Amino acid sequence: MNTSIFRKIRRDRAFLVLLAPALIFYILFRYVPMFGIIVSFKDYNLFSGIWKSEWVGLRYYKMFFDNPDAFNIIRNTFLLGLYKIIFGFPAPIILALLLNELKMKRYKRFVQTVSYMPHFLSPVVVAGILVMILSPSTGFVNQIIQDMGFEPINFLQKADWFRTIYVSSEVWQEIGWGSILYLAALTSIDPQLYEAARMDGANRWRQMWHVSIPGIMPAIVILFILQIGKIMELGFDKVFLLSNAATYETADIISTYVYRMGITSANFSYATAIDLFMGIIGLIFVYSANVISRKLGDTSLW
Amino acid sequence: MNTTMRKRYSSVMFILALAATLLAACSGGNGGNGGNGTTTDPANTPNDTGSTTPAVTTPATPEKPAPSKISIITEYSTGWPPKPDWAVWKWLQEETNITVEQQTFASPESLALAVASGEMPDIMHVYPGEVAKFGPQGAFLDLSQHMDKMPNVKAFLDSNPEFLTRVTQPDGKIYNLINSGGGAGNQLVWFYREDIFQKHDLKPPTTWDELYTVSKKLKELYPDSYPFVFRHGIGTLNTFGPSFGIYPEYFRDPSTGKFRYGANDPSFKTMVTQLNKLYSDGLFPPDWLSMDYKSWTQFMTTNKSFISVQYVGQIEIINNQLTEGKLKFMAPPLGAGDKAYLPKATEDFGFAVSSNTKNLDAVLRFLDYMYSPKGKEVQSWGREGETYTIENGKKKFLPIFKEANDLRREVGIGTHGAYGLLDFDAWIALVKEDEKEPYIESQKYSYPLAPSLPNLTKEESATIVTQTDQLFKHYSTSVSKFIMGETPLAEWDAFVSSLNQYGLPQILETYQTADDRVKK
Repeated sequence: MNTSIFRKIRRDRAFLVLLAPALIFYILFRYVPMFGIIVSFKDYNLFSGIWKSEWVGLRYYKMFFDNPDAFNIIRNTFLLGLYKIIFGFPAPIILALLLNELKMKRYKRFVQTVSYMPHFLSPVVVAGILVMILSPSTGFVNQIIQDMGFEPINFLQKADWFRTIYVSSEVWQEIGWGSILYLAALTSIDPQLYEAARMDGANRWRQMWHVSIPGIMPAIVILFILQIGKIMELGFDKVFLLSNAATYETADIISTYVYRMGITSANFSYATAIDLFMGIIGLIFVYSANVISRKLGDTSLW
Repeated sequence: MNTTMRKRYSSVMFILALAATLLAACSGGNGGNGGNGTTTDPANTPNDTGSTTPAVTTPATPEKPAPSKISIITEYSTGWPPKPDWAVWKWLQEETNITVEQQTFASPESLALAVASGEMPDIMHVYPGEVAKFGPQGAFLDLSQHMDKMPNVKAFLDSNPEFLTRVTQPDGKIYNLINSGGGAGNQLVWFYREDIFQKHDLKPPTTWDELYTVSKKLKELYPDSYPFVFRHGIGTLNTFGPSFGIYPEYFRDPSTGKFRYGANDPSFKTMVTQLNKLYSDGLFPPDWLSMDYKSWTQFMTTNKSFISVQYVGQIEIINNQLTEGKLKFMAPPLGAGDKAYLPKATEDFGFAVSSNTKNLDAVLRFLDYMYSPKGKEVQSWGREGETYTIENGKKKFLPIFKEANDLRREVGIGTHGAYGLLDFDAWIALVKEDEKEPYIESQKYSYPLAPSLPNLTKEESATIVTQTDQLFKHYSTSVSKFIMGETPLAEWDAFVSSLNQYGLPQILETYQTADDRVKK
């Protein structure tokens, strides 16, 4: 059966057309710009262009590591990403399992809709809401705290509070949206498995533990590996909008630093160098997570 | 199916910018207008607007210039949002036959993106920091090459050597022209609620210690108030500093002429100590770092605050909103040294021209007009009968303009980009008689020098760009923590010595070298 490549293309043309938009998107916005990483090794001048700019090797990488803040910025990014995974990753799974146990269809749908609504709010709006409700002089959170007889807390101007506020607002925003996938995975579990478990005398708790969770395990593992890859990749906008001089200690992350140094200070080479470095770290994370999961079980990305 | 499909803005924007540069590089092959400052002969520049007049080869006929269209980008001010039908642009069109299309910066990175994409408006209204960033890269036109076409600009610079120094780069190039005349409106001043003080028989504070005691008193009288309010966060220290005899960051010491950093001065510690005292007793709002104009106005108009610092024009604006009571200018309270000062008001913004402008002729005419006596008069006063009448030989604005701010809001007079030289008499003419005091009084307290920085060479600015950012971050974080009592003041000395670790000596030395070069 030596079908030539052209015949294959002819045969699958409908699929190829369907694939095309995604392919073009990736080529145009993910692969072509990769060429731009070259500027991180050059003293990039906008007007001389990429080719004519002077080659400076690793100067900008050195510059980043000579910076006394570099460690702090990397740590902030890493910790914020880590906390987001620790608290943000299990939350949708738990929500999905809980929703799965609900018998009332209407109520279930209502909860689902309400819980994924925040996903559609722009980070700017969320940051605005947070600034308002957490304000020590006018916000209602502090009014409740004061009514209970405690001192008001200046949430947004305490470096210690920044991570808590950021991570919890992320969990609130994404919990419902994240649970959709797990709910879909749960419905694909064969009902016979539950029946068999009931026959063996398993209560609902046992059924969840021995049927539901193993049933969605592949989905959990795949999503976890993907999340690990994004550990260093946090939404710039919310962090930027919630931080201020008093919280830089915990709130200055790679992307806010790149924004300040790269975009507003027009230091494109330096910003590219930092971003490339971060990309490599992200790759290492995904790769190691994948290796580990392949060793432990049989689910992996590749 | 991952939850975060959102990408970081920075990387997306950067990629877009890069893509745009690539495209520009490909399509602009014969533009020939690279970074070498070799500009095409303006006389032969094809006119974009498709004017029917044959190309004027001799630019020495200013009477009948060809109609042209240029674009300008300026700040967006919420107080006086730009309108396309502002009369300032109409007058300009009548005088010079140039139609202006005004754009505004949407956010801090707008200019960087415009430059990176190569799609720069003809004229950009910029600050010196931006000139330092983009000028040496080749974004802006070297105006010193075109002085022969701008006799009025040349005359202005020749008669104001101080301005010439400020715009001349170390290599002799001129990338920007600074505006002049509106400076007094940029004065930051202290003021207080005269009626509240009189009612309780209080005296306006003359020192920072008195500021504390008076605020304490007011807090007792109005427990849910924050007697003292300011809204520029850590940047407000630039206003407080001169009452302690210093600026918080880099400045030229008026007595020695040497560059210094204010934050390691003992007076600066005194200032932080005072602010810490005020903060701990709840005398200014705990969310001072995130205060915006709207909440500041609320504090001022709802009897929640009684002492403040702000731009001088705000006194009148707030007074017009107060249902009862009145704000009055207050001399800056003395914190340290022998005289309390206000920061010296300056204008440091001005015009820069895109290095790849296609309307060079029109742009040069625009600039020349803005710095001409005629341009100064028209862009400050408008037209007789339209904006003012002449009574007893003196110009008087029509009664439709009720307060000075109406000039900006309604016709655009005195807004960024709409003037080169402003006749400040026009502005002050609309300030009510009893609101003029702050403008006159504040001049008595002006600090001898403005905190302006010398122009650096490309190499110099490249060596300190990261340090400046680090140091500023370290400074603002540490100082706000000292003020809020999160770091005890006992650790002040450690902070001062940590400044060196962030590259302070190198930055100061760089500025000093640059300054010495200018003085030579």
